Amino acid sequence: MKNFEFIKAPDVKAALALLDKEKDHAYLVAGSTNAMVDIRAGKVNDRTLIGIRDIDALSGIKFSRGKITIGAGTTISEIANSALLAKKAPALFQAANDFADPTTRNSATIGGNIANASPAADTAPPLLALKAEVIIAKKGSKRRVPMEDFFLGVNKTVLEKDELILAVEFSANPHSAFYKVGLRNAMAISVVTAAASVRKDRDGKITDVAIALGSVAPKPVRAYNAEKAVLGKKLDDKVIADLMKAVAKDISPIDDVRASAEYRKDVAPVIVKRVLCKSCGICANEGGTK
Amino acid sequence: MSNLLPLTLKVNGEEKTFLASPHASLLRVLRDNYYWDVKCGCEEGDCGTCTVLLDGKAVKSCITLAHNCAGHEVWTDKGLGYNDEITRMIQDAFVECGSIQCGFCTPGMIVAAKHYIDHGGIADRKEIRKAISGNLCRCTGYNKIVDAIYKVAVELGREVR
Ligand SMILES: Cc1cc2nc3c(=O)[nH]c(=O)nc-3n(C[C@H](O)[C@H](O)[C@H](O)COP(=O)(O)OP(=O)(O)OC[C@H]3O[C@@H](n4cnc5c(N)ncnc54)[C@H](O)[C@@H]3O)c2cc1C
Ligand code: FES
Ligand code: FES
Repeated sequence: MKNFEFIKAPDVKAALALLDKEKDHAYLVAGSTNAMVDIRAGKVNDRTLIGIRDIDALSGIKFSRGKITIGAGTTISEIANSALLAKKAPALFQAANDFADPTTRNSATIGGNIANASPAADTAPPLLALKAEVIIAKKGSKRRVPMEDFFLGVNKTVLEKDELILAVEFSANPHSAFYKVGLRNAMAISVVTAAASVRKDRDGKITDVAIALGSVAPKPVRAYNAEKAVLGKKLDDKVIADLMKAVAKDISPIDDVRASAEYRKDVAPVIVKRVLCKSCGICANEGGTK
Repeated sequence: MSNLLPLTLKVNGEEKTFLASPHASLLRVLRDNYYWDVKCGCEEGDCGTCTVLLDGKAVKSCITLAHNCAGHEVWTDKGLGYNDEITRMIQDAFVECGSIQCGFCTPGMIVAAKHYIDHGGIADRKEIRKAISGNLCRCTGYNKIVDAIYKVAVELGREVR
């Protein structure tokens, strides 16, 4: 039974007041690329749709004192075309350029992508690898949640019914990379994705690292075992072999229409190697096990 | 049944007020009001034949919540063809290059091409393929569609050397 209302929120304050009033009934709509499909499929019913597409304060990419802040309503297009992100957060820039197709990217937002919490959400691995924080508001209060605590499961996050994502924020890191394996070049839902970010000392030793994977577990995940295999080390053949072995402990893939669990288990270590080498500024094929 | 709410949009240059369900897609509102040049294919965001310009950017109207567009400007392939020189060039090129077979994908392809050219698109076959990667065509094999967009880019002096 379809039974909807629609109210457009002109600004953040109005959106928070509406969320507070409607509570369980509220359903935020940004770019609507997930929302319209779910409404048509009857997965969403009996809600007050709160339109937030027009809230200017939710969109835009800001850089100040080493920190990048991206408003929740920023479209994937804006991210894919940002010269700033290309330089300072290549992992996220690349993910936006591999996302769906240019037309879908004109509507899809980064806030909608993480709130929807698909295990295959393409912006999730780069945000995890960049150790982003999600800035969340509800009427009268604000909180920050580390990206690694944000996802709970398939389409499940820590967001309460009356909360709105305002932005994601992370430290710039040019030494970050993303790789997506899909079934075709455009509009392909990810089969496996990986992202990494590293910091190295002058000798090339890895002093800080974060690696994340998509589509290999019920939610996008950090690969803590893989990180442990490389932290404090210089990349060489042995370290890379250890890294690839460790990935198996970080993932719990399933068979689905796009690929088998076996395939994902084979591919994940290879693309983790690739993004880590790329983050470190070395070509994935030199000095690596195949 | 859902209640109908008034929705004011500027469509093809004219301000219009429609009645639409709170959860209606922009595609449904347009087709219910006789903008039949906007085609309905998959209604899931996959095929691109429903593509229109919203505030100058190509979007798939089937995955666009209509009421979220209130007060904004929508152009369809047909409206653009009567009013916009670039679109007219693209439409002519589609005819000249034989880029149309059944024609079902054409309105969406032309709007996607218009977005590409408007945003500085160059005469580069790889870039053009990317630009129309959200639009499916079951007939032409894409080559002649790419030819047409390439031709327009060349006519506009956007060759790459
Ligand atoms: C053809 C097609 C291709 C796609 N390809 C990809 C792809 O390659 N990669 C990928 O990752 N995804 C893909 N998607 C999924 C979808 O486009 C993305 O998840 C998109 O980023 C969702 O953003 P949106 O603004 O459209 O969200 P909406 O549909 O507006 O909202 C999605 C969910 O997020 C909630 N929400 C939105 N904004 C906020 C906010 N600020 N605070 C709290 N909650 C909020 C909504 O309530 C809703 O539950 C694709 C979808 C389609 C239709
Ligand atoms: S009808 Fe909209 S993308 Fe197919
Ligand atoms: S001409 Fe038939 S679908 Fe493209």
